[in-house]
Amino acid sequence: MAKDNSKKRKWTRRAFIITGGLAGTGLVVGVAGNLYMNKAVKKYSGIGMGEGSSLNAWIRIAPDNTVTLAVPRAEMGQGIYTALPMLIAEELEIDMNSIEVIHPQPDKPYTNTFLVTQKEPNAFKGYTMMEKVYTFIGIVGTGGSTSVPDGFNNMRYAGATAREMLKKAAADKWGVAVAECRAEKGYIINAKNERLSYGELAEAASSIKIKDLPELKKKEDWTIIQKPIQRVDIPEKVTGDAEFGLDVRLKDMLYAAVRHPATIGGKITGINNQIDIEGMRGVKKVVLTDFGAAVIADNTWRAKNAALALDLAEDDGGNTGISSASIAQQLTDILAAKPLATPEDEGDVNTALSGSGKVIEARYDVPYLAHATMEPMNCTVQIEEGKAAVWVGHQAPFVVQNAVNEISGIDQSAILVHTTYLGGGFGRRAEPDFVKAATAIAQSMPGTPIQTVFTREEDMRNDMYRPAVASQFKAAVNEKGEIEAWDNMIALQSVSNSSMSRVMPSMAVKPKDDIATTEGAMHLPYHMNNRRVAFGQLDLPIQVGYWRSVGSSQNGFFTECFMDECAEAAGKDPYEFRRSKLDKHPRFKAVLDKAAEMSNWKTPLPENKFRGIALHKSFGSIVAEVAEITKLGDKEFSIDNYYCAIDCGQYVNPNTIEAQMQGGIVFGLSAALYGEITWNNGQVEQYNFPQYDMVRMNVSPTVAVHIMEVDEYPGGVGEPGTPPAAPALVNALAAATGVRERSLPLAKQGYRFV
Amino acid sequence: MELNINGKNVTVEVEDTMPLLWVLRDELNMTGTKYGCGVSACGACSVMLDGVATRTCILPVAAAVGKPIKTIEGIADGENQLSAVQRAWIEHQVPQCGYCQSGMIMAAEALLDNNPDPSDEDIDKAMTNICRCGTYQRVRSAIKGAAKMRAGENSLLSSL
Ligand code: FES
Ligand code: FES
Repeated sequence: MAKDNSKKRKWTRRAFIITGGLAGTGLVVGVAGNLYMNKAVKKYSGIGMGEGSSLNAWIRIAPDNTVTLAVPRAEMGQGIYTALPMLIAEELEIDMNSIEVIHPQPDKPYTNTFLVTQKEPNAFKGYTMMEKVYTFIGIVGTGGSTSVPDGFNNMRYAGATAREMLKKAAADKWGVAVAECRAEKGYIINAKNERLSYGELAEAASSIKIKDLPELKKKEDWTIIQKPIQRVDIPEKVTGDAEFGLDVRLKDMLYAAVRHPATIGGKITGINNQIDIEGMRGVKKVVLTDFGAAVIADNTWRAKNAALALDLAEDDGGNTGISSASIAQQLTDILAAKPLATPEDEGDVNTALSGSGKVIEARYDVPYLAHATMEPMNCTVQIEEGKAAVWVGHQAPFVVQNAVNEISGIDQSAILVHTTYLGGGFGRRAEPDFVKAATAIAQSMPGTPIQTVFTREEDMRNDMYRPAVASQFKAAVNEKGEIEAWDNMIALQSVSNSSMSRVMPSMAVKPKDDIATTEGAMHLPYHMNNRRVAFGQLDLPIQVGYWRSVGSSQNGFFTECFMDECAEAAGKDPYEFRRSKLDKHPRFKAVLDKAAEMSNWKTPLPENKFRGIALHKSFGSIVAEVAEITKLGDKEFSIDNYYCAIDCGQYVNPNTIEAQMQGGIVFGLSAALYGEITWNNGQVEQYNFPQYDMVRMNVSPTVAVHIMEVDEYPGGVGEPGTPPAAPALVNALAAATGVRERSLPLAKQGYRFV
Repeated sequence: MELNINGKNVTVEVEDTMPLLWVLRDELNMTGTKYGCGVSACGACSVMLDGVATRTCILPVAAAVGKPIKTIEGIADGENQLSAVQRAWIEHQVPQCGYCQSGMIMAAEALLDNNPDPSDEDIDKAMTNICRCGTYQRVRSAIKGAAKMRAGENSLLSSL
């Protein structure tokens, strides 16, 4: 199918070179070179990876020396189109300027085994049995902050083996020993300083087999990894050329807008005014699918207006009794009932709680949250006889193929998935719902590509929400300031059970086995004499899903606020109190110390300024944050600064990590300040940004980030910045007001932030 | 209806009430301008209308007739040169997912056109767009960087 490129005045390589005129005078600061010269990232793999010879599944080199790298992970702002190529380029000995990035089809080599195993993989040394199984299933996905942990070995070995293949090809050509050849900036060079370019060698190299796993470069020899490399996707994100799912334009394409059932678990049973709607300008068709009613038109706005005008008959599924009040009551009942599971139980908590220590008790609550990605859900599908093509910004293309297959019966192998840029993911874009709806709609007009759009209103009211969670704590603090007992009971809907039953039904866990429920509440690094973490399950037809930092998004808030309450009960400074309990965990202690040092924790603040601290590990990385706020009036504050230290092991691109910490904190603050999805009569009450507000420029703090130099295997960076944001702020508020807020969002408690 | 977009006249046959956003995106395939909320709450759809940052998702196209429209596709200073704001955006590595950034950039261009040296308060006031990825800190530093670039370029121009 022809792609309609008529809209594009494509920026050429030239466009990014700052030449001539004013820029040549040196007045323009620091904008020369690097990725300006890089051709815009190509999103589509098409059938293969373009011209040239493939050295492995990730690397293809054309005769003109263009190196095309396949990045099978979704670029949703976390910089993965740059980070994985950095790992390859380091070992392949190429310049980051010489690469092009494509997003390949979700073929089996691109499986993200770390996503499932949470273990360092090494495909080049050989996968374990389970890794082979996951590779066979082809779990190609982006989530759980796993792309670098999954790729850290694999991508370096992909680069290193390709380099050795090129060296061998050159050695053969010259008739010299491989040991006499070295690789440098896209050339193999021999002892006589003769050079052959990778482009000249690629074809011969592609058939060479490397028997022994090559040595990887030592950290001190790295010239790309751990350097602040400019992101390859940014130039086209400042010109408007970057193609998101909603920007896909195909020949003869139509647009569809969906109306979902208004009530959770409801079903649209009929359309009362189909004829009238079909008569509206631009409308091509009105369809009723299992997912809702839809209008297909020649323009999104016409489709959207017509969809709004649909008069629908709906079966509410008997769920109109669901409301935020009923949910709160159910959570309270679960907290009081016998736990479903007690995954952490050390020592004798009951006895310790009735001992001589000071006992404190508290209940914390957070509401349902929407992902509210900036780009609303959308998916473009073209169904043809026995095959399909999909254009979508999705975190898991294998989920896309399964979804299209489920609806259309078309074999997965005949479904091409063109992964575009994602206008935000945060877990929402791992779900199959919008792909299924788009497929069902496209099926009604075979041959025609149809772009199905959820309006912001439909997107917000049909999310897979971060669940509402209640968390009950009881702790005993003894006279030495030790935590004698820590007892935590959590109540919520199981996220993994809900999401996996949609995404990978065969692997769906039972609520009692859902580790996401207690992630960030268990294995706290602090020394405690006795501890117990238990949970109960709330059963509701509300769909819940993975939301940036998942269980840690609430458990980080609960545990780190309650730690402050324990410190207060012990009469200790919150930083010193935490620190005294970290002797067995030097990495945690170092991160905590760093954040305290960055914030000058020990120096008193001027009048009306206050601090709060929080420390949390998630997705393999430890993050400490200090929030610094100013009290402007009764319950009125400005959030001035965050000081953030992260230990993510061996990091890849420090510039991106800084951005992820800054963004992760803002994401956490939007939830802490404003975020709340409420229910009434079985329906979501919020439907757009005025009702579901976000932190904006005026409220956003200045964030200073420090990355710890640690030689451990990498952890993730996309999510770990978020969990400490809310507790650091709420701890600062408690320092300012003497009042401990235990329920989010803060705006609902009357707080105002400017 | 005739519109003037990025210095070129184009004719579109649509309802007077169709928001300019959808004329740009779906009729003209100029997809740099984004749909985020449709209710003037997020700024993703911002363009410059007669030099003023304007949210196009609720702006009937008829209201744009006779006024110059500048979109993200039209702000580069010619084929080889991105605008100062765009260059600062790259230098400061502002975008994350990038979806809000066309709107952010258009709001920043309009701000700097009216106020070449904005204070933090000016930036807070003018930049009310939502960025779900939370790029605000870099947006702020890039605006200040762009202001400096523009000032340098202007002083060079006047010395020529
Ligand atoms: S799309 Fe226009 S302001 Fe959000
Ligand atoms: S960069 Fe993603 S919404 Fe702003």
